[in-house]
Order: sequence, then C-alpha cells, then structure tokens
Amino acid sequence: MNATVDPRRKEKVNRYKAPQAQGQNGSGTGNEDLTPDYMNILGMIFSMCGLMMKLKWCAWFALYCSCISFASSRVSDDAKQVLSSFMLSVSAVVMSYLQNPAPMTPPWVSSS
Amino acid sequence: ATYNFAVVAAASSFEDNDFAEFEDFDSDDDFVEVPVTVGGGAPAASKEVPVKEKEPVVKAAQIQDDEEDGIVEDEDEFFKDDEEFEGFDAGEIKEETGKKPAEPKLTVAKIPMHFRTHWDSYWMEMLMLAGLMVYFTNFFAGKAKNAKLAQLWLTTHKGLLDDNFVLVGDDGKVENENPGLMKESESLYTLWCSGRTCCEGMLVELKMIKRQDLVSLIAGLMRPQQDQVHIKVDLTRGVMDPFVFCVGTKKTITKAFKEYADLSKYCTLVSKPETRYNVPAGFSVLSEIPEATSAILENRIITALSRYQQYIDYIHISDQYSGPVQVEDANNLKQPETKPVLMAGFNLPKNGDMEAVKPLLILIFYLMERLKGYRLSKEGQQKAEKNRSRVEEEFLKSTHAARAEAAAQRREDKRKAEKERIMAEDDPEKQRRWEAKEQKRQAKKKAPKMKRLAVKSL
Repeated sequence: MNATVDPRRKEKVNRYKAPQAQGQNGSGTGNEDLTPDYMNILGMIFSMCGLMMKLKWCAWFALYCSCISFASSRVSDDAKQVLSSFMLSVSAVVMSYLQNPAPMTPPWVSSS
Repeated sequence: ATYNFAVVAAASSFEDNDFAEFEDFDSDDDFVEVPVTVGGGAPAASKEVPVKEKEPVVKAAQIQDDEEDGIVEDEDEFFKDDEEFEGFDAGEIKEETGKKPAEPKLTVAKIPMHFRTHWDSYWMEMLMLAGLMVYFTNFFAGKAKNAKLAQLWLTTHKGLLDDNFVLVGDDGKVENENPGLMKESESLYTLWCSGRTCCEGMLVELKMIKRQDLVSLIAGLMRPQQDQVHIKVDLTRGVMDPFVFCVGTKKTITKAFKEYADLSKYCTLVSKPETRYNVPAGFSVLSEIPEATSAILENRIITALSRYQQYIDYIHISDQYSGPVQVEDANNLKQPETKPVLMAGFNLPKNGDMEAVKPLLILIFYLMERLKGYRLSKEGQQKAEKNRSRVEEEFLKSTHAARAEAAAQRREDKRKAEKERIMAEDDPEKQRRWEAKEQKRQAKKKAPKMKRLAVKSL
C-alpha cells in the first residue's frame, strides 16, 4: 500500500516540543507516575523523625525511601531534590549512630 | 527499728542464753528474720518479719547488743555458711548484707557502649546494608534490561519508521544531536517522528515495567504488569471527518471512558459489540456515530483485532481530543483546546520478540490512510455537528455564571479607571459634566423598573 506512493513529506516536519510546551493535553497518555515524589516526602519525614526521636530504624527506612525515589526519578525533574533527600537520610543514619552507638532495635522491640 | 531483733536474737543465743524464753517461740521464724543491724543506721526494710507484737523489754536488749557489733566479721562468715540456713534464701541475705546503709547508692552512669567492642550485635545493620546492596545491584540490572528492550524495539521498527517519516527520533535540541530514543526515566523511553502526510507527528512512548526498582518488582508479583508502547499520532486538522471512536479491552475502555474528556462527552458504550460490529470477545467499543464506527471496524481491522488480541490494549480515534477530563473550576472560561488524534496502546510480548508487534505499527499507518480517505454521509455530518454544538452549549451554560461575573468585573474596572482619569484632570468644568452624566446614568438604572410595573397594574 505505501510501497507505491511515498508518504514522507519533508516540509511537514515538526520538531519535538517537550510535553509541557505541547500543552497539558499533549501529555494525555503519560499520566504522571507519582512514586518518586511520594517516596521523597516519606524519606524526608522519616529522616526528620529519625534525627529528632533518635530512632535508628526510621533513619534506615528513610535511606531506603530516598533510594527508591532515586531509582524511579524522571530525567525531567532535577537531581537536586534526590540529592538533598539522600544527604538528609544519610545524615540521619550517621547522627543516630554518633549519639548512641548501641545496635539498632527493630521497631517492634522498642515499642513493646 | 525493732523488726530486726530476731536475727540478733539468733546470734546472741549462742553467747549468753538469757533470752531462752524466746527459744520455743516459733523458732523457724528466727531464721526467717533477715536484717542484722551493723553499726546502727537505718535498718533495711524487710517484708516477712512478724515483729510488731514484741514487748518493749526487747528494745533494751537490742541497744545493748549494738556496742558488741564491732565483732561483725565472723558473723558474716557465719551467715555465708549455707547449712545453717536450710530453705533460707541465701541470695537474698548476701544481697541484703552487701547493701551497707552507710555507703551511698551507686548509680552507674549510662555511658554509651563502645563501638568496637563486639560487632556481632550489629546484625540488624548488616541486614540493612545487605538490603541496600541487593537493591542497587537490581537497579543496575533492571536499568540495563530496560535499555536493551527499548533499543531492540527501535532497531526492529527502524526500517518501517524510516519508510514513513522524514525525521525519526528528535531530542528537542536545536541541532538534534542524537536522534533516537529519549530516556524520560529508567523505564520510560519516548521517540518523536515527524514529516508524513496527514499527520503532524507521532510520539511513541515505551512504558516498561520498572525493573530497576525492587519494590515495584515485588508489587508486580501481585498485580500483573506488562511492557507497553503508547503511540499518539497528532493528525493534521481537516484530514479526518468529525467523529469519536474507541475500541479496546473491557478494563481499559471502562477506565478511559471516565478519564478522557472527549470520550465521556461524545461517546456511548456499545451494548453488544460482538454482534453489532463482530469484534472479538473481550473487546468493548465506545462510539459516537454508528456509521463511522462500522466504517472503521471493517473486516481488515477485525481480523487484525482477533489475530493480535493479546497485544492490543486500546485504539482511540477522535477529532475532539482534549486530554483528561478537566476538573470543573469556575475560572477557566474558555473550552479546552481540542485536536484530532489517533492513539493506540499495545502490550509488548513477554519474551521480548519485537517482530510479533511490528504488524501493529503497520496497522496504525493503515488506519491513518483509512481516515484520510473516509467521508461521513450527510446524516453523519449533521449528527456530528449537533453533538458538537450540544457540548458547546453545555459548556457555556456551566460557565455562564462565571463569565457574567467576569464581564461585570471588567465593566467595573473600566468605570473606575475612567473616574480616576477624570479626577486626575483638574479642569472643574469637565468634572462637573462627568458627575452630571454619572447621576443621570444611576437615576436611569433605577427609574425604569418602577414605570414598567405601573403600566402592568393599569
């Protein structure tokens, strides 16, 4: 069918515009995947409570959250956010061990 | 302080037996007594000592004994001799005699344990570090797998794309350094092609399973996930006739029916598509104009649907596409901008054999040619026109209040600006004339209502 007539038209070439430029409805198919943002916020909250309430398992969980948000982060959102959440969770882990180098007790132990 | 008497009695009964009358007193009690007063001071409280009922004469004996307390050493050995106290809780006595009231209560300061003392108690931390290692190895493995799959899709379809498009792969930069797949995230790759008749451009979105993220892999065990490719062709205006149509698996169609604005406004769900348009079972159809739907679902498309049923997720053709349903907020006064699109979502085969899905891209090109050539009949045209004007009216009605308000606001601002302009000019004559005009306008606004009323009552 298209072997006979060549469908290509040189003059109709449009350069690619990032979805935002093509208007909101341009990204109709790509409904946003929100996991990196959720994990980022979760990581921040857990590292805060790890730091303030000196709970080691919170700090470790925050470290995992920032890893997950790094893994599923998009190229379009800036790396600063992921970097800051990493720094925060690593500092939470280090601080909680500097203050009290006792081994970590899992949450179900300390709460009983 | 008399309760500790009995033990002393036990001790003194060996030296001078003048307290014989206590011998027959429940002697086993004597041995149950615990504390011995050594050098006075507050005797340790003892629970089981039945001492209160003793006569005062006993107190005198107890004080006289105090001086002899100096010889406490051998008594200690005596108490340590276990046979003397059958059934007596030796541990308690040792602990009791150890707590000399004179010494201050030692509180051990809670100093943190030292790091390097014993590593094995940090097993929880080892576990955590191991978990991180596993996570990152899986991250790199998944990332590589996704990249390989995306590249495989591109190489399989490159020939076909080059036959149909002048520009294949554009990274949005001015001189388009590396034409090819753009990596949006570790599991999302996009490809932009342009330069073909009857379409402005085609955006191919490879949405794959997030193999790089262990958590979503585990989540994927519960809920089946598939690698998908979403194709979105922006058709040139005027190429296709005005109608909206969508065919796909039941689950996808029910979701899309609620999610997309054009589908929810224009289309109705076809009750028995198998009999009406003999689409294969498992598919459902959304159609606006039955005539157009049957024209699209002609036998070639039906054979393609049945042969590639496992790969086809949805095919959506619409000239009023405006993306997801806009949330009804009062201040967006103008209708969302619509454009004609041909969209399709296909599942990629699990074994990564891309050749099997290549005919689906040919199907897309075939559909484009069909749309270019297909014309609605007269009634179809009118029906389409009627639908569009109905939706237009609905939109106007829903935003009427907001638009009226906006218009009033605009008029108000205009008058205020004019007032300021007049006040700024210090020419009294013009101001007086302007105020007179303003009064007349206000009076006119109120007066007519009464007059009309009066006429009616006559």
